Amino acid sequence: MTTQQTISVTVNGTTHEALVDPRTTLADFLRGELALTGTHVGCEHGVCGACTVLLEGRSVRSCLMLAVQADGTSLTTVEGMEEDGNLHPIQLAFVEEHGLQCGFCTPGFLMTVRELLENSPDPSDEEIRDALGGQICRCTGYQSILRSVKLAAAKLQGAPLAGTTESP
Amino acid sequence: MSIEIPKTLDDLPNSSPRWVGRGVPRVEDPHLVTGRTEFIDNVVLPGMLHAAILRSPIAHARIRSVDTSQAEKLAGVFAVVTGEDAKRWSLPSPTMPEEWGTHCMATDKVRYVGEPVAAVAAVNRYVAEDAIELIAVDYEPLEPVADAVKAVGPDGPLVMEEKGTNVMLQRVFTWGEVDEAFADADRVFTEKFRWHRLGANPMETFGVIAQWDPVDESLTLRASVQSALHFGLGRAAVLGLASNKVRVIPHPHGGSFGGKGGTRGCDVAALLTRKAGGRPVKWIEDRSEYLTGGGSQSWDRHYEVSLAVKNDGRVTGLHVKLLDDMGATGEAFGAVNTVKPLACFTGPYAIPVARYDLTLVATNKLPQSPYRGMGPPPHNYVLEQMMDIAARGLDMDLAEIRRVNFIPKGAFPYTIPSGNEYDSGDYEAVLDKALELADYPALRDQQAAARAEGRCVGIGVVSAIEPGVFDWNAYAVVGAQGTGVPEGATVSIDVLGKITIRVGFAMEGQGQYTLATQLVADYFCVGFEDIKVVVLDTHSAPPAFGPGGSRLGVALTGAVLGACERLKAKLVKVAAGLFQMDASQVDLVDGNLVAKDVPGVEMPMAAVAGTMLGRSDLLPPGVDPRPEATYVWTAPGRTEADEQGRAKTYLTAAQAVHVVMVELDEETGLVEILEYCVVDDCGTRLNPATVEGQTEGSIAQGIGAALLEEYVYDDQAQILTSSFMDYLLPTVNEVPAMKKGIVVTPSPFTPLGAKGCGEGAMHTTPAAVLSAINDALLPLGVRANEVPASPNRLWTLIHDAKPQAAGEGPR
Repeated sequence: MTTQQTISVTVNGTTHEALVDPRTTLADFLRGELALTGTHVGCEHGVCGACTVLLEGRSVRSCLMLAVQADGTSLTTVEGMEEDGNLHPIQLAFVEEHGLQCGFCTPGFLMTVRELLENSPDPSDEEIRDALGGQICRCTGYQSILRSVKLAAAKLQGAPLAGTTESP
Repeated sequence: MSIEIPKTLDDLPNSSPRWVGRGVPRVEDPHLVTGRTEFIDNVVLPGMLHAAILRSPIAHARIRSVDTSQAEKLAGVFAVVTGEDAKRWSLPSPTMPEEWGTHCMATDKVRYVGEPVAAVAAVNRYVAEDAIELIAVDYEPLEPVADAVKAVGPDGPLVMEEKGTNVMLQRVFTWGEVDEAFADADRVFTEKFRWHRLGANPMETFGVIAQWDPVDESLTLRASVQSALHFGLGRAAVLGLASNKVRVIPHPHGGSFGGKGGTRGCDVAALLTRKAGGRPVKWIEDRSEYLTGGGSQSWDRHYEVSLAVKNDGRVTGLHVKLLDDMGATGEAFGAVNTVKPLACFTGPYAIPVARYDLTLVATNKLPQSPYRGMGPPPHNYVLEQMMDIAARGLDMDLAEIRRVNFIPKGAFPYTIPSGNEYDSGDYEAVLDKALELADYPALRDQQAAARAEGRCVGIGVVSAIEPGVFDWNAYAVVGAQGTGVPEGATVSIDVLGKITIRVGFAMEGQGQYTLATQLVADYFCVGFEDIKVVVLDTHSAPPAFGPGGSRLGVALTGAVLGACERLKAKLVKVAAGLFQMDASQVDLVDGNLVAKDVPGVEMPMAAVAGTMLGRSDLLPPGVDPRPEATYVWTAPGRTEADEQGRAKTYLTAAQAVHVVMVELDEETGLVEILEYCVVDDCGTRLNPATVEGQTEGSIAQGIGAALLEEYVYDDQAQILTSSFMDYLLPTVNEVPAMKKGIVVTPSPFTPLGAKGCGEGAMHTTPAAVLSAINDALLPLGVRANEVPASPNRLWTLIHDAKPQAAGEGPR
């Protein structure tokens, strides 16, 4: 077996030093070593997108990357989305628009949407579909996710909007 | 104590329902969107080992030897198991039909690619995977049973030699004077269809942590299981353990759709933890394992269908001949898939007589599993295609032939020839609404204009029934015994008035904890923040089946409201004692116990609960001092099946009409959905937003079934689709926007009038998309009778019909 390597990664603002096997995937490192289990693994071959995290702000498949490749970088996972204990507007939008059912794919979608909206705050329908084309959701049929992204964009731009869910 | 479960929202003991019937946000979501939900692979136990399973690379072979010596020597390996351990510590799986089962790991021969042969428990998954590569298996290849149609014949290889045949079951069910109906028909239409294997593919695969207790020889299973109680009983049977020695702790799971499977992997993990002296063993199925060896594959069907029709369009008889390729064993409910259609055999139509000629065949493929809909979706597809074929033969409109045959509004409850009873419906209203929503005449105009431009555009109009709230009697003809599927809930109030709802199923995605919360919030007039839903293990939970067979919304409503009613009766009795009144003079209103005829004499429910918990000395004699109650709901009025399989099985019958317009690209064979309209009637909508989510999600799965999803095996029964690059799931780019409408005819038989709705459009969408494709193909004089209607199939059809149109073909 290859010698273990020491890596240093900053995840959600906290820097971690760890000794890892070179063959450890980034997903297994995040989930196993750092106990950041919000990042889910759906296919382990880069198709489903459930394991998507942000590396220096860009979305990557953590199942297709090795932890050693992330050495010296800064990562964001779903655990890093809340601000002061409050849901991020994207998370809130997914709740309000029922943009999830089983929720297993959701962290990957949230990461992808965060990247999209940081680059394109008011995306067109086509841009949204393009951005989400690499994420598979088996539950929702995507329509509520599309509505969630629209609502998230509006929330991030400060519009005083609520979703279509009802309150008494 | 007999109780009355509220039949309508008006029957709830509050001034006005505030939560039920609204699309309120889900209580499940804050954990899910922050990544905090405890999916099974998140769980780490002290000393836990990780399993990897060695699987057969060939479909049919005798095992000469398995050498595990090198694997056992690898550092970090704690246990290795093979078929010998399976023989020592387990039994062949129970099956439907009976005695078509094998052990969880191959003992004498392998019968499908992906069958477990050996397994390892090691310090981590990486080491476990290294170890299984060190196991040497000597296979003597046998001729595979790869073709179900050929496998019926007397010659050729057998999946199980001791059976002397590959035919698992052959039966003809005749319901009424079918021969007479066909003899008296003005027209008879017959067509053959093929539905290829596809399956559930939840985004989370199956996972389990098994822990053996060597002292009392008991087993604890933490698992992502759909029905913990049922799963545990099955594991006890297979592992030869007493039923009370297997404890299942169900974990929230990332979808199921019936296809979570996992029984073999769970049993293998159980053998490993036993061999490792009780160290917990985690096994997480990887996607490739799921696709080739998990609960992934369903419905592999060859159909021949005939319809007896009168010249006015009335269908007077239906004959369905089905040969279904079950795969290697009957372990995973594959046969149930083939008999659930009895619950809706003649669809939404008043077809008076029918025959079902059913043959189940074993082959060297993965055993079939359940998938959303549990078998009717292909049946509905062939029935709806036949309705289209009859319409064209009689020069009728697709909508009109359906209207002519619909069960009329006044005929409910209505018993269909195959024995099930439909509760209620207004099928014409649903059709009218769908045609209006789609603007059907305008779609036909658009189609005519497109055809004039040489475009290949078609419209489908189909209808189907979604049987809701299953009962085991529905599957009696393949060996499921008895009636009754229980769902229990316990509702308790603490000293501060906070309410806990305890259930026996894990979160799966349909929003059932939200539903339970809505019901209790309305019943006791409290807020969502005052309620907590807790899932219990199988040692402590009330009897529960959980989600499945479009049942849980209805069944859970019955269970929770039943528990609320019982709890109310207790509170009333205690309050009456404190008020020094008769219980009949006290009622629960808006969360307070009030004296009906004495204004001002009332106590908040929390005060009554507090008295019960703290001052049992003040309680009337005979009152149980716990402010909690359990109720176990089962569907009323179910009956045993007769010799022809006829019974009252599913409690509800939701109905839908879908109108779809598609365009085929003649150059590529690709289908684009131009318009998708759905109107459905699933009775009272307890949370319209979650119902809508089920509809949208099931339409997406139906589109996948119609156009994309297929498990492909070659002529050696070798699977060619072992990744998501080969097995195609719909992405956001394949699922169109949908227009949706509703009709509500409450069920007379269920709490609050809701009907089962979880399987949803899976029953209708594949038929609708194929109808539209065949409408588009009409000018070419060909039909697409294979599902999925993938680009290669459609291109070949178009090319053969019209060679000049297809050019050089797709590259």
